[in-house]
Amino acid sequence: MKQKLLNNTEAIAIGFMAVLALVTGGWNTIVCAVIAGLLIGLSANQNRDGIIRAGVLGAIASIITAIMGYIFNSWVSTLPGVDNQAPDHLTAYPLILAVVIGTITSLVVAWIHSIHEEARRKQAFLIFMVVCAVIFPFFDQCPTLAWNGPISIANPTVGCTTSKALLWVNAVIVTMIFALQALGLNIVAGYAGLLDLGYVAFFAIGAYTMGFLNSDHLVAQDTFLKTQFGFWLVVWGSAAAAAFFGLLLGAPTLPLRGDYLAIVTLGFGEIIPIAAKNLAEVRIFEPISLFINQLFSKADAQSLDRMQNAEAFLKNTLCLIGCDPTRPFDFTAGTKGISPISPPVFGNILGIPKIYAFVNGDYIPWYFLALVLLAGSAFFIFRLRDSRVGRAWVSMREDELAANAMGIDIVRTKLLAFIIGAMFSGFAGAFYASYVSFIEPGSFAFDISVTVLAMVILGGTGNITGVILGAFITRVVDLVVLERLKQLINGITEKVFFSGIDNPALVQFVQSIADATAYKVMLFGLILVVMMKVRPQGLIPAETAAQKRKA
Amino acid sequence: MAILELKNVHTYYGNIHALKGINLTVEEGEVVTLIGSNGAGKTTTLRTIQGLLKPREGSIKLNGEELTKLPPHDVVKRGVSQSPEGRLVFPRMSVKENLEMGAFQRNDKDGIAADMEKVFGLFPRMKERINQRAGTLSGGEQQMLAMGRALMAKPRVLLLDEPSMGLAPILVDLIFDIIRELHRQKTTILLVEQNARIALSVADRGYVLETGEIVLSGNAKDLAHNPEVEAAYLGGKAH
Repeated sequence: MKQKLLNNTEAIAIGFMAVLALVTGGWNTIVCAVIAGLLIGLSANQNRDGIIRAGVLGAIASIITAIMGYIFNSWVSTLPGVDNQAPDHLTAYPLILAVVIGTITSLVVAWIHSIHEEARRKQAFLIFMVVCAVIFPFFDQCPTLAWNGPISIANPTVGCTTSKALLWVNAVIVTMIFALQALGLNIVAGYAGLLDLGYVAFFAIGAYTMGFLNSDHLVAQDTFLKTQFGFWLVVWGSAAAAAFFGLLLGAPTLPLRGDYLAIVTLGFGEIIPIAAKNLAEVRIFEPISLFINQLFSKADAQSLDRMQNAEAFLKNTLCLIGCDPTRPFDFTAGTKGISPISPPVFGNILGIPKIYAFVNGDYIPWYFLALVLLAGSAFFIFRLRDSRVGRAWVSMREDELAANAMGIDIVRTKLLAFIIGAMFSGFAGAFYASYVSFIEPGSFAFDISVTVLAMVILGGTGNITGVILGAFITRVVDLVVLERLKQLINGITEKVFFSGIDNPALVQFVQSIADATAYKVMLFGLILVVMMKVRPQGLIPAETAAQKRKA
Repeated sequence: MAILELKNVHTYYGNIHALKGINLTVEEGEVVTLIGSNGAGKTTTLRTIQGLLKPREGSIKLNGEELTKLPPHDVVKRGVSQSPEGRLVFPRMSVKENLEMGAFQRNDKDGIAADMEKVFGLFPRMKERINQRAGTLSGGEQQMLAMGRALMAKPRVLLLDEPSMGLAPILVDLIFDIIRELHRQKTTILLVEQNARIALSVADRGYVLETGEIVLSGNAKDLAHNPEVEAAYLGGKAH
């Protein structure tokens, strides 16, 4: 039988990364080459020939990416509208490094992949991924190899001159926030089989809890809150608040059948942002005295008149919240949004001096914080899956009637999944609020619920690694590829076709049609449809312990 | 006192009156069979006993303790487990995991391990396939697994729902040999079967169910020779 020149994974890896290098270029070429090498290494045969082949193929892929990077450097970066990069970003160094590092990556990954003993292979792969994750942000922030002094916490960029070319790190931090949400939704949808279409509600609750307790918004209004609580305390409060609302929503609705739950959660996901929008002017009266006041003033026409007068009204009734007649209590800040939300601080509590404070816009510490949170959560969920309740979830998804007959309390088990899922979303929301430092109701729209669901389905419902992978693919396509593609297409059309045309309306029209980011939702929809048709179990399907042992 | 006692149990599916006053007892160590044609209410009876369906009227007692209002997980905890109709093993879990799910309500690790060995003693084939996915087992093996899983709950009363369903005759014989073995070990069993002949051959006593009502009951041997039962469920005297 004639062997195919490339298998599917290799072809996709080389093709996709070449495109990515073409639209990002510069030092990003190295990232592209490494990802291509990773995929090639993973799809290699597990023997010596496989490693050699992976090395050759990795070298070819790296050279192709480097060529694409060269095209970006020499041509695409000169197009109008494309993000300017630091000039030293566009030298030949990154391209040469991309070839070397990409080839090494494919060799190393293929070698790790060929380790026979499963436990050791997984360990080696984990170490490799950790090394990649730790090195990664410095590549993005390091356009030159110039040595800029010793490494310190204040100067964590390995002494590189910083540049504004932080294309990836920000995207990856946001991706990790979404991955955290996807991990939670994976418990709800993947383990317990509950369709939650309003998952963003818990994200919003977590974010707003952070906004309330860790910003000056409520403190400035001289309310019950006298001081900010700080990130490390509030992050747990956010998770608890989301879990509480999960309980509140889940307890009455989970005994219902699947479709009803989808409708209820859909509604809840709409309610929370709307509540956040409308709770900007709150004035609450104590209801009993209000009632008595109305009762006594019934006969008295004059007092009825007085009722119209807000000030007199306030005198006659016991006001609880928002009593200042000129200014009601501003709870959520409405569409203005809450800002600034304080970033985390190490130390500065219980008499310990301040050790280090995160700064918004300095991405690298945030990157590592997000990495630690994500890794911790993934580990926690791995352990949870193998626990008693984890097995109950799996058996319930397999066959609910049988699980019930085995003595599993279906409603309670589902509720637990719903609450833990909500908790992770709240956790992610708290981190998000502190990271972007600004939240408003528009950040918690329905499309986030859909995107997170798409991540779970794309990656593989019920599989932790798959879900994280799904989050990365979806988000990187969204934040990097489409954004850059838009710039590229606009740049080309502007330079090549419109140079002679003096019709701004026509130019605008063509550019709005060619705007790749506008096709985002359509693209995700298309991906979901194709996945359902071709591979309904996701990229990495859920594996059971039975398979694990057999492997 | 009977270990399991049903008194005047009425169960409805919506407005459909499925069980119209079932009275039934099972004594300790006894194998009792419930026979009847399709749709007579056999499976409904078992599901009602386990709490998967709620009776609208009547009482179900285990050793004198009321089960009627209890949810299924509490019924399992009190010692009633079942091998459901159509087996319903967890297809993507291994044989071992399936068995462990049977012991979900138990906490005694040593007891669970001992019972697992006991199940492997009854069904040696399960031990051979311990890490295989349940969905890849044959029909007969899945039936064994479902029975083993029910036994893992250490039930005081074991409910078996149609263990012969969809199995080749040789496998049916094998399954019923195991039921006989369980009987010898003094396991209390309520057996629901369409295959009346083989069911009556292993049982001590039997009940005949027809459209939600018990129309006949008595000693299994007598029932097997009852002309009405022969005509309706044993294919007349043709054998």
